[in-house]
Amino acid sequence: MDIPIILTGTLAGSALLLPALDIAIGTKTNRTFSAYFTSFVMAISLALVLLSATSVIPLGESAAPKLLQNDFMGLVFAIIVLSVALMVSLSSIDYMRDEPNTSIYYSLLLFTSLGMILLSFAADLLMVFVAWELMGIPTFILVGYRKKDPNSNEAAVKFFLLGALSTGVLLYGISILFGLTGSTNLAAVAAELSTLDASMMPMLAFGVILAIAGLGLKLSIVPFHMWIPDAYEGAPTTVSTLLSAGTKKAGFVAAIRILAVAFPLLKLDLTMALAVIALATMTLGNLAALTQKSMTRLLAYSSIAQAGYMMIGLAVLPSNLGLTGLLYHSFNHALMQGVAFLAAAMISSRFSKASLEPYEGLSRSMPLTSFSLTIALLGLAGMPPLSGFWSKFILFTAAVDGNLTWLAFAGLLNSALSLGYYGLIVKRMYVDEPSSTQKVHEPVGFALLLLAASMVVIITGIYPAPIYDLTQKAVLAFVP
Amino acid sequence: MVDYLISIIIFLPITAGLLTYPISKASKRGARLFALAVALIELCLGLYAYSDILSKGTGAQYNFVEGPVAWIPGFKGIDYYVGIDGLSGPLVLISALLTVLVIVSSKDLISKNQGAYYSLALLFEGFMMGAYTSLNMVLFYVFWDIVLLPMFFLIGIWGGPRRKYAAIKFLLFTFTAGVFILLAFISIYILVPGNTFNIPELVGKIPLTLQPLLALLFFIGFGIKLPAVPFHSWLPDAQVEAPAPISVLLAGLFKTGSYGFIRFSLVLLPNASAEFGWAYIAFGIVTMFYGAIVAMRQKDIKKMIALTSISHMGFVLVGAFSGTVAGISGAIFEMFTHAASIGVMFMLSGYLYELRGTNDIAVIKGLKFTSPRFATLLVLGSMAAMGIPLFSSFLAKYLVILGAIQVNLIYAVIVIIPVIIVAYLLWMIRRTIMTQPESTAKHHDIGTIPTLALMIYFIPLIATLVVPWLLLGMTDPLAEALVKMLPAR
Repeated sequence: MDIPIILTGTLAGSALLLPALDIAIGTKTNRTFSAYFTSFVMAISLALVLLSATSVIPLGESAAPKLLQNDFMGLVFAIIVLSVALMVSLSSIDYMRDEPNTSIYYSLLLFTSLGMILLSFAADLLMVFVAWELMGIPTFILVGYRKKDPNSNEAAVKFFLLGALSTGVLLYGISILFGLTGSTNLAAVAAELSTLDASMMPMLAFGVILAIAGLGLKLSIVPFHMWIPDAYEGAPTTVSTLLSAGTKKAGFVAAIRILAVAFPLLKLDLTMALAVIALATMTLGNLAALTQKSMTRLLAYSSIAQAGYMMIGLAVLPSNLGLTGLLYHSFNHALMQGVAFLAAAMISSRFSKASLEPYEGLSRSMPLTSFSLTIALLGLAGMPPLSGFWSKFILFTAAVDGNLTWLAFAGLLNSALSLGYYGLIVKRMYVDEPSSTQKVHEPVGFALLLLAASMVVIITGIYPAPIYDLTQKAVLAFVP
Repeated sequence: MVDYLISIIIFLPITAGLLTYPISKASKRGARLFALAVALIELCLGLYAYSDILSKGTGAQYNFVEGPVAWIPGFKGIDYYVGIDGLSGPLVLISALLTVLVIVSSKDLISKNQGAYYSLALLFEGFMMGAYTSLNMVLFYVFWDIVLLPMFFLIGIWGGPRRKYAAIKFLLFTFTAGVFILLAFISIYILVPGNTFNIPELVGKIPLTLQPLLALLFFIGFGIKLPAVPFHSWLPDAQVEAPAPISVLLAGLFKTGSYGFIRFSLVLLPNASAEFGWAYIAFGIVTMFYGAIVAMRQKDIKKMIALTSISHMGFVLVGAFSGTVAGISGAIFEMFTHAASIGVMFMLSGYLYELRGTNDIAVIKGLKFTSPRFATLLVLGSMAAMGIPLFSSFLAKYLVILGAIQVNLIYAVIVIIPVIIVAYLLWMIRRTIMTQPESTAKHHDIGTIPTLALMIYFIPLIATLVVPWLLLGMTDPLAEALVKMLPAR
């Protein structure tokens, strides 16, 4: 079955129809129509992708094989981005309840998901670019969704300016690759590059570096990370979840597809450059997170640090193991970071403050949320046997295998460092006494959603084989 | 059932731990009795495994082996693979015994939120059993690291006034220890031909050039857990802030450090262990002296015990790396007796706090008159911690000293350590027991059940002194096998 085309139809159709449907069906008393509709669409899409990944529905040839490639790599990332989108739309039912124009919000959410799906399956540089923009532009608006909130506005402007810059840089890189090879199709580019004249090698390196720099903005790697904390803090936290857990992963799939083509041909040592970026990203992210006073900023920096671990997979690129680890960690990180951000969203909206203070003694007033958040944070820190441990373990093994033992050691030390702030949040929730006697209500639906996601973290940690096999299959199908 | 004995030993307490909390919502007493029943079954299973190995004399090999079964089939080498030998057998047995006693005593010493408490205690036991019996390095690491979580919550929620600081410090130190261990494991997996994490398959396979670096990684990682000076600073905080029953369990946790030294440093890296044996022994001696000397000037009885415990751990290091049968047997023996003797002392400090509301040696007076039962137990416990020949802790220290002297006469310096320990514990006894109580003090002693529970700690200590074969029958075959593996000196 042609998954990308079907999803394009479903998501684009619902995104376009939703505002009209909302006017026709949704009433003033029933403002949650769009939310349920969107969640339904996401759930159907996710079910379709999951069925395809477990081979219940065979994955056929694409109707547009030059543009979209139906492969397991795309499926894995489709699972990741759709799970995140589903979590975001479900949690928005509660979080965005009092906001105006929610049908637009959900419509934009659907458009972003469409962009992420197309990016996951893209087989052509122009498709990468179109999908990149389709994913990016709705998020600029979503970040500035609270138009009366100056923080939200500032975040949107910052995000937009840097986003526009990165788009330009990416396009420049793509144009150089096109100029060198006369094609934008990735397979054709690869074929052309293998016969490339050696004197053109610096040009190719320049093009690839520009493309990575363009993608790097969404990947939140150092030195393109500056916008992250401000944007994540200013945006509605559900949108931050989407950015951190969703669009970042879509950026990684684009990076994998471009680098996998260019990497074997490059004569210069990109490994060391990527390894240094990985080291800088995780260390800076973790060090900065240690001192944060606001939960969303803390998670934003932690998200940067996690991107650093994933960069290990790119640094050792010809290695299948590293790529498997990268895919695996993308999946785990999306889930855990999603839970952490959404829990933070709920807590900050309940207490109307984003600081760390409400977390003191939270386990008493919000037991389910505290438990889910604890699992997510410990998973992010890499505590075994949660699923985050396995993917980090595979990444570090790949690093040692690729003669980057120092990088594995740095990554492991960073894990211990990250426990410094993850552990402090857990300590606040379970060990500290509540600072205020303010009674809070734990929204049951929201808490159960978080609990379900954290259960996935636990279960896939104890029984990691299915997801590992799926990611390994995706990598083996991708790298011949 | 015997086929799955170890899996039951590991997963019975874990499953029960997950059930205890829901049960406590219905009945607190029910949860306590349930936890106690599970701990008793666990003890029986441990005794069965132990006596079976002892009677067959197969301490040198792995018994009741299960696996290897692939955990992640796509990733070669990560297996579920468990077994018990002469090193893990005594540790499994003593941990099971201590858990039973801890649950019995917790009735008096823990008041708030008992359901969650018993739940965590059982989870802790299960994870410890997992760490002791794993024969796959990844499986070991998983249990070795996850065991920190129940302990973190036990210290953080039920601990003393500085519990918040102590709990997070404990978590960070011990999690960091794992960093070094995991790097060593991954390096072994990648660099040793065969790509496996299974310990039995790796014995004798690790190239000589790799051994020193791995030895260093293991030394830092297990040294933090042991804890060896200079990585010990988390321990007094954690031990003092933890409630007394948890201190007993925590004393069990460092055994995973000394266990790691023998299971990984000694078994997998025999050449590095022989070559750098002097360095391990030097650190062991420093640890011993540091613990004993700093303990001498403590005002708080619990801190004094914690430091005595550090000092005892030095004996394990010296014994294990002396590379002699007596030394290695003595090291395992010391781990066993340390669990019982330090365990009873910690528990006594908890009861002392219940009786007097303080653990300050200078304030407590005249226990002999107000609490005769307690005073008797405290004297006995101190004697066990000193290594007086009434208890087998004497035998353990004797064996270690014997092993050390066989290597080099200079190491005989460690015979001073028991003398220092005797000195300050006797001084503590003189001040708290042999003094006149304040005139207002009333007769106030511990109950019959706690007294009986505390007496049980002495049973293994006396039994193994009267019939040392009970323990040496397990450890000697293993020690002999290990010594054969070490390169000739």
